[in-house]
Amino acid sequence: MTQPTLPDMDILPAKHSPWRNLSFVWLVPILALLVSLGVAWQNYSNKGTLITIVFQDAAGITPKDTTIKFRDVIIGAVEDVKFTKDMSHVEVTARINKDVADTLSPETMFWVVRPEVSARGISGLSTVLSGVYLNAAWTPIEGSTARVFDGLKEAPLIRPGHEGTRIKIRSKNGTSLTPGAPVFFRGMEVGQLDTPRLSETGDSTDVEAFINAPYDKFLTTDSRFWNMAGFSVTLGPAGLDLNVASLGSLLTGGVAFENIVSGGQPVTNDTLFRLFANEAAARDSIFTQLSANSIKMSVIFTESVSGLASGAPVEYRGLRIGQITGIGAFIAKTATGGSKVHMRALISIDPQTLGLEATADAQATHDFIEKLVKDGMRARLATTSIFSAALKIELADLPDAAPAELADDADGTPIIPSVKSDLPDFTATAEGVLQRVNNLPIEEVMNQAVSLMAAIETIASAPGTQRAPDAILGLIEDARGLVGKEDTQAIPGELRGVIADLRSIVADLKEQGAAEQLASALKSFDKASADIATASGDLPALITDLRAIATKVNDLKAEELIAAVTRVMDSTDALIGTEGAKSIPPALASALTEVEAALKELREGGAITNTNAALASARNAADAVASAAKNFPDVTAQLDSVISKADALLSTYGAKSTFNSETLDLLRELKAAAKSVSQLARTIERNPNSLILGR
Amino acid sequence: MENAGSARGYLTAREAGLVNCTTCGRVHPAAATVCLRCGAPLASRDTQSLQKVWAWWVAGIIAFIPANTYPMLKTATLGKESASTLLGGILELVHHGSIGIAAIVFFASIVIPASKFFAIAYLALGIGRPSRLSAHRRHQVYEVVEFVGRWSMIDVFVVAILTALVQLGSAASIHPGIAAVSFALSVAFTMLSAQSFDARQIWDADKEHTK
Repeated sequence: MTQPTLPDMDILPAKHSPWRNLSFVWLVPILALLVSLGVAWQNYSNKGTLITIVFQDAAGITPKDTTIKFRDVIIGAVEDVKFTKDMSHVEVTARINKDVADTLSPETMFWVVRPEVSARGISGLSTVLSGVYLNAAWTPIEGSTARVFDGLKEAPLIRPGHEGTRIKIRSKNGTSLTPGAPVFFRGMEVGQLDTPRLSETGDSTDVEAFINAPYDKFLTTDSRFWNMAGFSVTLGPAGLDLNVASLGSLLTGGVAFENIVSGGQPVTNDTLFRLFANEAAARDSIFTQLSANSIKMSVIFTESVSGLASGAPVEYRGLRIGQITGIGAFIAKTATGGSKVHMRALISIDPQTLGLEATADAQATHDFIEKLVKDGMRARLATTSIFSAALKIELADLPDAAPAELADDADGTPIIPSVKSDLPDFTATAEGVLQRVNNLPIEEVMNQAVSLMAAIETIASAPGTQRAPDAILGLIEDARGLVGKEDTQAIPGELRGVIADLRSIVADLKEQGAAEQLASALKSFDKASADIATASGDLPALITDLRAIATKVNDLKAEELIAAVTRVMDSTDALIGTEGAKSIPPALASALTEVEAALKELREGGAITNTNAALASARNAADAVASAAKNFPDVTAQLDSVISKADALLSTYGAKSTFNSETLDLLRELKAAAKSVSQLARTIERNPNSLILGR
Repeated sequence: MENAGSARGYLTAREAGLVNCTTCGRVHPAAATVCLRCGAPLASRDTQSLQKVWAWWVAGIIAFIPANTYPMLKTATLGKESASTLLGGILELVHHGSIGIAAIVFFASIVIPASKFFAIAYLALGIGRPSRLSAHRRHQVYEVVEFVGRWSMIDVFVVAILTALVQLGSAASIHPGIAAVSFALSVAFTMLSAQSFDARQIWDADKEHTK
């Protein structure tokens, strides 16, 4: 039996899925791939946003190395540095962390931080080793798309994000305002100035200032700012006054503010303040800026108002209560029907300064002044100071004045009744007095007095003089005998004639006014002495004696005069005998010459110019010092010249002044300070390592 | 002898109906599945060997890319931080004139790892294909790859030592970069790749070819 053979049949072999034999090891490369891709993606997505900052110059910025910091935290790095198309600027491309980049406001400030040595201190030392970095400052906003920014040339002094108030200060000129100069409040540094900029119209300088919190709460709408540029020299009735703020402000200048009156409103950002030249001007300014409820009045004068100017003060018992707002003339009908030109001054009075409530209305003020007038308050002209021809209006209480009332003029403005002033031309008088004092031949008088005394002494001690009393007795005896004689009886008649003659001679003398002249000369001398005494401090007792004489001369008692003169001569003699006094007459004479010259110049307006020029040159010197601070090695030389200038300035006011030595000491100390600063700068220059190593 | 007729003059264990233990070297009959001496699993041929080789190889290549593109070392000297990649470092060495050192680094860090990839790929591709190199030569190549593998870690050791030594605060400090980790992984992956290669397949391929 044959087995049927099965035909070869096509079979489909079992299909082995290629996946079944797949090794699990394949997971490793897949995992590695995923991780790599993940890392790459994360790296890419964290790469940050590309921004462009345009700078004037690259100043040490190196691609890749230079970082960008915000509040000292790195927020990005510079990728590339290249020129703009017109080659005028440098474009810095940088990558900023994504989350940070979205908050960049278009006003974001970028600047290069590099080591800096200035009068304000040393900053950026860390960059000596690590190279420069870019600093950024901005006020974060949401969803910003700004990507191109302008880089700053220098670090901004006022950075966004600082707590405080930003204000604007306007001044006539910005010469003494340097960027970064401090702002003081009661001597404390509370803020700083930005770079001064010319206003758009070009007639003033604006500078932004930043007052740090919490001090900005002291800033009110009534705050007054004044310049504290270096030092100030003022010449006034109290003599020379020298003010020096801190050494820092001497080099960089600075401004100060204070709330001179209370009740101001809190300020907001960008409030505009005016900068006054000095503290006194700032303090006076509260009067020039009258409060809203000030009341208008007028005063009518029949005399000349030369020297009275708009803005001049109105004072009541020495306190400034308002100012003159205008001066004009008008024609008034006189009682006899003729017409006369009268002067009218318009004044504004601030009720607050009179002690009334700040909210007092016009009626209340009017009533108050009406009452004062009823009690005898009168307006009159007065000089503002002994050295000035300027006038002010003084409201004086004169109970004896003719009764008057507060009347209204045609415009309805109340008129404060006026009286004639008793000092119409004081300056001329003062000048004449001093002129005459100056003309007095004091030295000759003294020399003559000395020789006179010597002669008197010789006569008194001469034996003939000793015998005089006896001779007089004999003489009297003789006279008695003579009187007894008949011839003598006839004498009285003749005597009477002689006496009449004598009387006429005396009358002649009186007419010639010799005694009055002497008296007035001595009176003038007295007045001058008083002035000199107040101006110069302690002069020898000579003046006291001279004054005593003057009073006696006033009484015109000849014997007493002679006695007093003798006393003066005695004391003068004694004084001349002392070593120190010998130098007084020339000093006095030269002092008087100078006072005279000063007065003359004052009258011609030259002294004010001189003072201005002196102050200007002092200010210029301060500026020079400020600019020198940027260049330390020059500081000493500049200060030298400042000192010589100051020396020259002060020597014109005489060597006797007490402030003189103090000023020179101060300046010398300043010089020494500057010298050591410049030495330090030179040391740093020679050996920068010393900053790090401390040697 | 049974193998006397063989042209190649050697007999594989498989041909002899035997299987040897790759762990301890003991020879067992072909049917044995577990080594009687050491307990290791026995297999005449590892059927998944090639797959494993390729898988580790691919993983090694993937790790090798960041090892060369990312910084190996981050050096911070006096506040300045600089990062250098492998190739960048070598170029810097050449710039400084240290051509000898540059050559060593280049050889150890680039040439050897790269040639390992090539060698493993060549061996793996050579299985089941005619080859110009004799089986014996190819086995030698495999031995060299296995031996050299561990020495490729020198780079990583250098980085590890520098990182540990140079920590002088702000004056100077060194941190390893991403490349260091990638490089170490790459070396480990290639070693695993070489290890999972079943060298016995070289002989099989040779045999089939010469039959």
